[in-house]
Amino acid sequence: MVALAVAILLPALSALLCYLIKKAPARNIIIVCSTLIMFAVAGVFTSLLFKSGGKISIDLEGLPLDIGWIVKILDLLLMIYVIYIGFKLKKSLIVLLASLQLIPLVLFEVFAGVHEPATAFVIDYLSLVMILLVSIIGPIISVFAIGYMKEHEHHSHLKVSRQPRFFLIIFVFLGAMNGLVMTNNLLWMYFFWEVTTLCSFLLIAHDGNAESIKNATRAILINLFGGMAFLAAIIIIGLAMHTLSVEDILNANSAAGLLPLALGLLCLAGFTKSAQFPFQSWLLGAMVAPTPVSALLHSSTMVKAGVYLVVRLAPAFNGTVLGKLVAVVGGFTFVAGSAIAISQSNGKRVLAYSTIANLGLIICCAGIGSYVAIGAAVLLMIFHAVSKGLLFLCVGTIEQGIGSRNIEDMQGLVKKMPFTAVITVIGMISMLLPPFGVLLTKWLAIESAVNLPLVLIMIIIGSACTVVFWAKWIGIILTMPYETEHKTEELSFSVKSALSFMFLGVLAASIGIVPLFNSLIAPYITALSLGDNTALIAGNGGIWLANINNAVYGGFASVLLFIVLLVLIIAIPYFMRRTRPESIRPPYLCGENINNDVKGLEFTSPLEKAEQAVVRNYYLAGAFGEDKLTLWTNLVAGAIILIMFGVVIIL
Amino acid sequence: MMITDNALLNNIILAVVTIIVAPFLGGLLSGIDRKISARMQNRFGPPIFQPFFDVFKLLGKERIAVNQTQMVYAFGYLFFAVASLIMLVLKQDLLMLMFVLAFSNVSIIMGAMSVRSPYSKIGAQREIIQMMSYEPVLLLMVVGVYLTTKSFMIDSIFTHGQPLLYNLPLVFLAFIFILTIKLRKSPFDFSTSHHGHQELIKGLTTEFSGPQLAVIEVTHWYELVLLMGLIVLFFAKPLWVGILIALVCYFIEMVIDNISARVTWKWMLKASWIVGIGAAMTNIIWLYLK
Repeated sequence: MVALAVAILLPALSALLCYLIKKAPARNIIIVCSTLIMFAVAGVFTSLLFKSGGKISIDLEGLPLDIGWIVKILDLLLMIYVIYIGFKLKKSLIVLLASLQLIPLVLFEVFAGVHEPATAFVIDYLSLVMILLVSIIGPIISVFAIGYMKEHEHHSHLKVSRQPRFFLIIFVFLGAMNGLVMTNNLLWMYFFWEVTTLCSFLLIAHDGNAESIKNATRAILINLFGGMAFLAAIIIIGLAMHTLSVEDILNANSAAGLLPLALGLLCLAGFTKSAQFPFQSWLLGAMVAPTPVSALLHSSTMVKAGVYLVVRLAPAFNGTVLGKLVAVVGGFTFVAGSAIAISQSNGKRVLAYSTIANLGLIICCAGIGSYVAIGAAVLLMIFHAVSKGLLFLCVGTIEQGIGSRNIEDMQGLVKKMPFTAVITVIGMISMLLPPFGVLLTKWLAIESAVNLPLVLIMIIIGSACTVVFWAKWIGIILTMPYETEHKTEELSFSVKSALSFMFLGVLAASIGIVPLFNSLIAPYITALSLGDNTALIAGNGGIWLANINNAVYGGFASVLLFIVLLVLIIAIPYFMRRTRPESIRPPYLCGENINNDVKGLEFTSPLEKAEQAVVRNYYLAGAFGEDKLTLWTNLVAGAIILIMFGVVIIL
Repeated sequence: MMITDNALLNNIILAVVTIIVAPFLGGLLSGIDRKISARMQNRFGPPIFQPFFDVFKLLGKERIAVNQTQMVYAFGYLFFAVASLIMLVLKQDLLMLMFVLAFSNVSIIMGAMSVRSPYSKIGAQREIIQMMSYEPVLLLMVVGVYLTTKSFMIDSIFTHGQPLLYNLPLVFLAFIFILTIKLRKSPFDFSTSHHGHQELIKGLTTEFSGPQLAVIEVTHWYELVLLMGLIVLFFAKPLWVGILIALVCYFIEMVIDNISARVTWKWMLKASWIVGIGAAMTNIIWLYLK
């Protein structure tokens, strides 16, 4: 109970302090302290949940003040503030979408008279996974932001620092995420949902230039649309089932009455928040924000709220046509996002498309809905959050180091920024290759999609595309410049410690997959009653799939492969030292090499002229370019969602 | 796999034997390949053991590098190819085997990209496209195997009643099609070439020399054995039929190699996605409906 209050309110308190205290050193101390307290809270929740046997229900009846009313009032204030933003930006659409939520919300509260659930908070293992992600990755990113924002404001020549406001929003954001994943009351979840929408708007618009405001407006419009779907679902559920408890919805007979429609609307809300096609544009636009914001949006907060909702509801639509269509939406986003990522040369955009694709895969797994698939979905939520959090921090650091986020400019980064480059590469490998976790979940996704050919082919083609864009990028970073001297890299302490910490997190999650699975995910999926005969087991150094007779039908001892990888990693310094500088030769060019400088890429052509050799990556824009694919993929994705609603309404 | 101690010992012995025997088989096969190819071109050709002589010679050469990390990538290529071969002989998860094999391939691509030579880089880019072309077909092949045997473990193929080919004829054809790409044979040899006198020099391996090249050559042998092993899976019972068919397939690959000219990447991507995925998917849909 206390931990609960701390988890939600402490970030809010830190937020306030960060805002009020204008002195940077004092603020930094507060940020570091809140970071440590949030780690502690995550630890407390973990031990509480283990002791309580997998579920903590918290009743708020009998408190001196009625929290339900406070939430309601805050909800109204929030919507009024959004309408104010709409007026300020002169965007009538924002005003319209917010009013369309404000008015039904008030009417619903006043006239419907639906009883709010007595147990306001229910925390199970899925919530715990999210709490851990939010309360560990979120604060690390805030620590990174200390160093990053200083540099950022230095570049943008601000007179008055806007950091107090920045950290205010960041911490409110984290508190709202914690609330969102713990509450059992749909109305409260809706409130936290809208808080994250508002926070993301404010953060994207943080730099205050025309582009960032334009993109922030797009983000809030799309997310308000999702919020509308959320509210519509609440009203339907409230009127038809007379409950607002998430638990009751999961236990209800899913084919009954209006519930499928409500579930469809909730999934739609999840799609907007998780930037599924055709709603992907807001997340791509969010790139204009300072890098810590992107890292936060992409890893532990915001987009994870969407997939959390869909995964949470997965048992309710398991085995229905709706479930299959949700899988198709996710699968389609996975393949479309991965394909477009091939054509991108802007590092952050590649990361963004990869996020969209991976969220698609999570939603796809939730839609498939077998034990194996839901296990894969939760695993991917974890692995994606740590890896992508790390990668965004890396790209941010690289951008401040070399002044560009273009992949082509990252040639030879190993020599320019050795520390960051190595961490970045391992982060990317963890997104792409075995034995790391993300690949493991891709493998689980394929093995659980075998009975849905359409979804299957999308995942397979999508994963072929992922190899392309990651391999190209890793190759560029690892390109060794010609000279042998090493430069040391100067990074601020906060940046360096945040990077190292996230990096260790990535390694620990993948190497420790067996205990991770057994302690957090196995108890969650075995508690579900899904009615399929597959099981996911961890042990013997890996993950195994078994059927009803306990016969293993698939599996992989991932830990063994780490040993092979370890040998390779140890081999790198050995060979680096063993290669004597005099045995290093320039590469072969189409003639005599002219100079042995950094580029080493000039040669004498047959006409006795000095020619420079320039190589760039293939981007295959003619086949996979944004302008070629975006329109069509959006149309197809829109059609799939319409089909989804067509089906649930007929049901 | 859930294994007992005794089985564990057997597995280790099997793995060690594989590591030792596979390169001999692979080297021999590529020696035969060179001999037959030479005869097809009206040349006398090198002795069958020439690949081994080559590797020994490469091992003895001066250690020249373009940068300090190349050897690591060459070893990455080797280790993960060996790992996937071991997964095959220990009858592990077929899908994961494909991913481990992909790691091996990504490693050599990284090696080629780590140097600043245009030839090597373009070779690497082309190799990535080749991966994109054949990867879906390999994965679909695994799915086909699952739909037939209801398991992803290679083990189940051997306990399955009839040869896979009965159920997976089109998947097999698709696999043979992409085998040409995987073996980097003509008409899909554009990430590297047999001769150093083409537009790409040697593409992917242009900047590898001496011992590094030897490691890469040995990896090719392991890979060759692995791919032949995958063909054998389609005819698992009795094993000798499978081996015979695998050799026949390899011969066909040689013929194709010698009679065709290189195509462009667009053509390859289209062909392997339309023909390869198309054929495999057709097969899978009928299995699904059955």
